[in-house]
Amino acid sequence: MPNNISAGDTAWLLASAALVMLMTPALGFFYGGLVRRKNVLATIMHSFFILCLISVQWVLWGYTLAFGPDHGGLIGGLDWLALRGVGQDPGPYAPTVPHEAYMVFQMMFAVITPALITGAFAERKRFKAFVVFTLLWATFVYDPVAHWVWGGGWLGQLGALDFAGGTVVHITSGVSALVAALVLGRRVGYGRDALEPHDATMTVLGASLLWFGWFGFNAGSAINAGGLAANAFVVTNTAAAMAALTWMTVSWLHKGAPSVLGAAAGAVAGLVAITPASGYVDVSASILIGLGAGVFCYTAIQLTKRLKVDDALDVFGVHGVGGAWGALATGIFATVAINSGAKDGLVYGNPGQLGIQAIAVAASIIYSAVMTFVILKLIDVFVGLRVPESEEVLGLDASQHREAAYQI
Amino acid sequence: MEILAFVSFAVLVVAWLVAPSRGSVAVVSHAEAPAKAA
Repeated sequence: MPNNISAGDTAWLLASAALVMLMTPALGFFYGGLVRRKNVLATIMHSFFILCLISVQWVLWGYTLAFGPDHGGLIGGLDWLALRGVGQDPGPYAPTVPHEAYMVFQMMFAVITPALITGAFAERKRFKAFVVFTLLWATFVYDPVAHWVWGGGWLGQLGALDFAGGTVVHITSGVSALVAALVLGRRVGYGRDALEPHDATMTVLGASLLWFGWFGFNAGSAINAGGLAANAFVVTNTAAAMAALTWMTVSWLHKGAPSVLGAAAGAVAGLVAITPASGYVDVSASILIGLGAGVFCYTAIQLTKRLKVDDALDVFGVHGVGGAWGALATGIFATVAINSGAKDGLVYGNPGQLGIQAIAVAASIIYSAVMTFVILKLIDVFVGLRVPESEEVLGLDASQHREAAYQI
Repeated sequence: MEILAFVSFAVLVVAWLVAPSRGSVAVVSHAEAPAKAA
């Protein structure tokens, strides 16, 4: 393959990979502030450990399963096992950057996706079970679905549009979080004790760093340092802001006060929803997508609480519902005026795209739900999913890690 | 779509004007439950 490497594209992609890398520890702080102080270290450790674990899994076999040469539209081959043949020349997905740069950018997506799920089983999952679950989930859920959409698999061939991971990242993690919450059951004291966030400032800081990193997530997905990246950057910021304003407003009208945590959660919901659409929609559409994210995600969380599902940090409401809304909104608002390589959506005269998006949403929901259930049940048999009640009451920092977060 | 974008933002601004405003707070809740999300 001729070497057409662009210094600008490569610099932007590597910088974007670093931005996305920051999102995983940022998620640790976002979640860490929302749990009780006896569980903050364990919660942050979930994200930090996944950063390490999936960094190794991805170079050994994750990347080749997700992006290796296609086998039947379902999975990548083992040609690039341990990154054999993935070097400084461009690969098949990005002609102007080294294949290694593309690989490491994708690695950061593979890292953060299982970390998102950890919010659902916070404060009660055995660390050993979490380790096994993450490794199996990354291999049998994330890698195949990434292949289906981005690696030349059947959803990509069908024409599904997912610029930066609405189906691959957010629907898979959000739905798996709901399944995990149901399989693990509620925390001790749920519905009786106040299971309140121990440090809202930590959560707002985490949300802010997530927002910052998301520019790499979405604008980096253009894979070139050009106009499409600039558009993705602008619509990402706009949708996050609109969703934060909307969530805060809805919760203000509902609960009587403008919640700081609500604004932070709303911003994340907006970032989730714009993710699949960011390379296909204009700024007006991003305002409507942010508006929808604020309303739909907030409502979904009220419903899960009414059903007494202990999705501890509301992962399904934000990522599952926000990701599904974003994927469907892509089928509504996409326009070739923004991305000539894509397709128009419903409002530009192509209703068929919305149907394709619905198929992608349904496929990711069904596959991730079934696989997550099977993985969790197997782990429960061989390892045990939950810590004993006495250890849960003591807190996971002490019982799982023998450390304390604060000495004051 | 531009009109919808302007209208949706205007609706939020109006909502802030009519939303409840409490002059004093007897008990400060640490956080509202539904906002614990990522």
